[in-house]
Amino acid sequence: MNGFSPATHLILAILGPLVGAAVAWGMAPRGIHAVRQSALVTALVTLGIVGLLVLRGLADPVLTGGGAFAVSSVPWLTDGPFAVRLSLGLDGLSLWMFGLSALLTLTAVLVSWKAIQDKPAAFYMLLLVLEAAMLGVFAARDVILFYVCFEFTLVPLFFLIGIWGHDDRRRAAVKFFLYTLAGSVLSFVGLVTIVIWNASHSGVLTFDIAELTAGVRAHPLPMDAAGGWLQWLVFLALLAGFAVKVPIVPFHTWLPLAHVEAPTGGSVDLAGVLLKLGIYGFLRFSLPMLPEASAVAAPWLFALGAVGIVYGALVALVQTDLKRLVAYSSVSHMGYIVMGLFALEPAAVEGASLQLVNHGLSAAGLFALVGMLYERFHTRSIASLGGVAARAPWLTVMFVLFTFSSIGLPGLNGFTGEFLILCGAFQRAWTGVSPAWQATYLTLAAAAVGGLVLGAWYMLWAVERVFFGAPRRPPQDGDGHPAEHAVAVAAGPHHHDPVAHGPAHHGPAPAADLEWHEWAALAPLALFALWIGLQPGAFLGPSAAAVRGATAQAAAAFTAGMQPPTTAPHTVTANLTGGRQR
Amino acid sequence: MNPTTSATFGLLAPEITLVVAALVAFLGAAFAGLRSGWLVALVGIAAALVLSGGQAVDGVAVSGPLAIDGFSTFVRWLVLLLGGLVALVQAGDVFRSAVIREPQPSAATGEEAGVFLLLLAGLSLAGVADDLVLLFAGLELVSIPTALLLALKRTDAQGQEASLKYFFLSLVASSLFLYGVVCLYGIGGSTHLGAISDRLRTTDPGTVVIGAALVPLAVGLTLAGAAFRLAAFPLHFYAPDVYQGTSPGNAALLSTLPKLAGVVVLLRLVGLAIAPPTAPAAGYAATAALDLLWPATAVLAAVSMTIGNVMALRQNNLRRLLACSSIAHAGYLLVGIAAASAAAHAPNGGTGLAGGTLAAIAGGGATLFYLATYAVATIGVFAALTYIGHRWPEWSAAVPRPPREEAASVADLEGLSGTNPVVAFTIALCLLSLAGIPPLPGFWGKLSLAAAALEVDAGGWGPRRLAFVALAVTLVVNAAIAAAYYLRIIAAMYFRSTTRGVQTDGGIGAGVGMVACLALLGFFTLRPQGLFTAARRAGAVVLRGVPATDTAGHHPGAPSSPAGSSAVAALSPVSPSPSAVP
Repeated sequence: MNGFSPATHLILAILGPLVGAAVAWGMAPRGIHAVRQSALVTALVTLGIVGLLVLRGLADPVLTGGGAFAVSSVPWLTDGPFAVRLSLGLDGLSLWMFGLSALLTLTAVLVSWKAIQDKPAAFYMLLLVLEAAMLGVFAARDVILFYVCFEFTLVPLFFLIGIWGHDDRRRAAVKFFLYTLAGSVLSFVGLVTIVIWNASHSGVLTFDIAELTAGVRAHPLPMDAAGGWLQWLVFLALLAGFAVKVPIVPFHTWLPLAHVEAPTGGSVDLAGVLLKLGIYGFLRFSLPMLPEASAVAAPWLFALGAVGIVYGALVALVQTDLKRLVAYSSVSHMGYIVMGLFALEPAAVEGASLQLVNHGLSAAGLFALVGMLYERFHTRSIASLGGVAARAPWLTVMFVLFTFSSIGLPGLNGFTGEFLILCGAFQRAWTGVSPAWQATYLTLAAAAVGGLVLGAWYMLWAVERVFFGAPRRPPQDGDGHPAEHAVAVAAGPHHHDPVAHGPAHHGPAPAADLEWHEWAALAPLALFALWIGLQPGAFLGPSAAAVRGATAQAAAAFTAGMQPPTTAPHTVTANLTGGRQR
Repeated sequence: MNPTTSATFGLLAPEITLVVAALVAFLGAAFAGLRSGWLVALVGIAAALVLSGGQAVDGVAVSGPLAIDGFSTFVRWLVLLLGGLVALVQAGDVFRSAVIREPQPSAATGEEAGVFLLLLAGLSLAGVADDLVLLFAGLELVSIPTALLLALKRTDAQGQEASLKYFFLSLVASSLFLYGVVCLYGIGGSTHLGAISDRLRTTDPGTVVIGAALVPLAVGLTLAGAAFRLAAFPLHFYAPDVYQGTSPGNAALLSTLPKLAGVVVLLRLVGLAIAPPTAPAAGYAATAALDLLWPATAVLAAVSMTIGNVMALRQNNLRRLLACSSIAHAGYLLVGIAAASAAAHAPNGGTGLAGGTLAAIAGGGATLFYLATYAVATIGVFAALTYIGHRWPEWSAAVPRPPREEAASVADLEGLSGTNPVVAFTIALCLLSLAGIPPLPGFWGKLSLAAAALEVDAGGWGPRRLAFVALAVTLVVNAAIAAAYYLRIIAAMYFRSTTRGVQTDGGIGAGVGMVACLALLGFFTLRPQGLFTAARRAGAVVLRGVPATDTAGHHPGAPSSPAGSSAVAALSPVSPSPSAVP
């Protein structure tokens, strides 16, 4: 494994999907099977390369110490002082998300195996291009490269939703694109402003994220009227892009539409990785580069996180469409992450960064399973589904597993992240804020706990209605024909009353349960859900230093803004990470 | 023929080639039955490219009213490149008729091609002009052929309306510009640009009085003349009608070449007022001109962008839509001009980036870079529209087939990805570039424009900084608004299916032009560096902001050398990268 440098390894990991995309496109004349096989091979190879890279990174003390690993940099667009570079590298903030992107692309390819019959070459090409862009976002160490990948993720997903989506796909694709674009162009101005502020004080027009972070620490952006409240303006500009992407609650309206209309593969990537880009942006840019503004905004974003938790959960509770329910559960769960991040308490922040991965696994799994249900029953309506457990026991097991992961059952991954977030939030509420804020913080943290209960309620209620009880909808026949067709053949003209006449009475259809490609899509996610649940320290440890480093300044500014705490804060994380690390 | 005259002829070889080719096309069509006038045009353009490629690029050569420097070389190359692309589009199916010998020759192709060549010669002359008279003559040689082409290409009522509207308005704009030129002459006492520049920057009290009276008039009137050519507010209103009333090929011409003329005029105007770094303090009149120019261009930029994009949102006719979009792009171009003129006169000193000079170069270079990327993408769209030509309407076999229709509205592009994938891909890529989606060239253009705007007074805070931050925000918000209507076209092409056949009767020329634009966009996506450097160098030359290390004998525009006795002087090379960064 030491044959070539980690930097080369990283470049290979990003180029792999691009080559695979071209191969998949070239396979178009050979038919769907060749196309999807080539896409699967690419996804597997990329996952292998990325997995090995992550292992190499974990073995590198520089990365676990908070530094960057596999760094490389070549000029891209340079002239005079202008220096945009293709700088790549991984650190504790990006390592897990980098791996997750590769893992979820495999899932996305596998869940589309049978679902995508129309123009498969274009579909898999776009999926793999999307993977390259996602890997690029997390590996970028240059502001412009980050933004290029960040923005470019919109293009493949726009076409994935618009061409292979469901009925309202055109509106969903355009709304998704415009909404996120409108936010991220403002982030773009904010980022360029930071670059130019740094240039005007250090004299070097650099776009390197690490140099910029150091530069704005030496010369913080002004937070007063004489400086035009520049730091505040930049923070708001970045917030506009990242809040839409997350989404933080008032900006979330694009998400349910895009999720519901997207093809399953697109939903998996959207929920698993792309929503995290917003949080990643906060961790990478807002908190380290604009600590004072972040500290001032923290209580408000903490509150918006709590509002999102409760609001998302309440809206999810009344959904009749299973996919929409999972989409709103994403809104709710992203609320925990926002809350944890802006609690600015080490435990909560580490929990939030772990929860990025956790939610990526559980939401991707749930969306994949909803897609599998849709392929079998051609409906996502909770009322039309029922008794699935009898026909597809393994599918039910998996759905329940990811439900438990999502609602935070101890022993699974969701518990660790949300527990840390809530611990940190309460710790901040009791010891870290001025008495004037304490009641508010406690109320918000308590609301988040209430959100846990609501989360368990809507998810388990949906499981009960969909998987248990009397069957209401027949399974699809094995050839991929619509369910109505199978019923029409079996039961003649009375197929609108499947309970009486459908094949459901003839016992569970074997084709209804998980097939090999569905197993292969879900098993790695389930494995990691268990692994993180049982051994969270192994996942928290490597990123702890980087995450703490990214938020330390903002936390210090926050504490300085509040009354200093009377008791020495004792951290929960210390026990968790310290105890279980190697 | 004295040596100076022959030297001037030598320097003007490309323009003379164009005029000779125009004469061949005119006379051949009139007396020899030449029908492939556009072929002559393409050969002429190619010959002019070869000739201009042989001339000094790195030095400065002056003869009489000409200055061949980095700027004029860049403009000339751009003119010939864009001219070649537009000629291909205009040629349309003429090649076929040249080969197939149809009984009726196509309409006046010889006249069209000749007039077009004269237009290119005029634009190129405006680029190399170092003298107000030649500049004005060049601009007139752009306006009149444009009006003629509009009249020749389409002879129905709409075409006549477009031609007349353009002709009368261009007369008004030319006369406004001419008054501006007169005012500049009044200030300078000479038509030589270098002499005017020296008088603008003098501190001699008599000149100051003249300057105080004439500078506002000169700035306002020349700006008005340029605004018409850019199709910028307030002289933008003709664009939608004229574009709609003419052919796509003419629309491609109108949306690119006159804009280049406007940018040349404005950059020359800004350049007049900028002191070379070696000169003593800037004079009163020059700073007054800059202080008038930047707010004016900034306001025009903001209004043009917003008006153009908001108007485009409601359009269904493609040419009308693209006309509105071209108004918006004129606004983006003006952002660079505004940044250049503001940065050129920084009242409270430098920004840490070698004073305001580099920021001014950034503005000029960004404008030229943006113009090139915009023009290639726009010509690509119009080439594709020309290539599509006509579509059959939907019809049933029971009734006689209705006549085919020109593909003119957004609905006419529905399902194009199925019927003509390459055309659809080209249009989509060009539109995404126009929308500024990374990593397409339009994104690099918007990045450099936004960076140039944000660089103005970057070190401090004040009304100017606030204005430019607001301008940058306006720019990116407008980019997001523009994405809405670009996406509407892409959604029509990719997300809908059609039963209507596409005629693709626009001819092989348009097809070649389209593919050439696609190739250029792809090239600039992967390697923006070359164009970026060339544009920046051109901006550095015209804005005289070449850093101190490069300035030795930089600008030869000293009035002491009377016209007639100046010689071709290849002076010290302009460094390709202004790298004097502290």
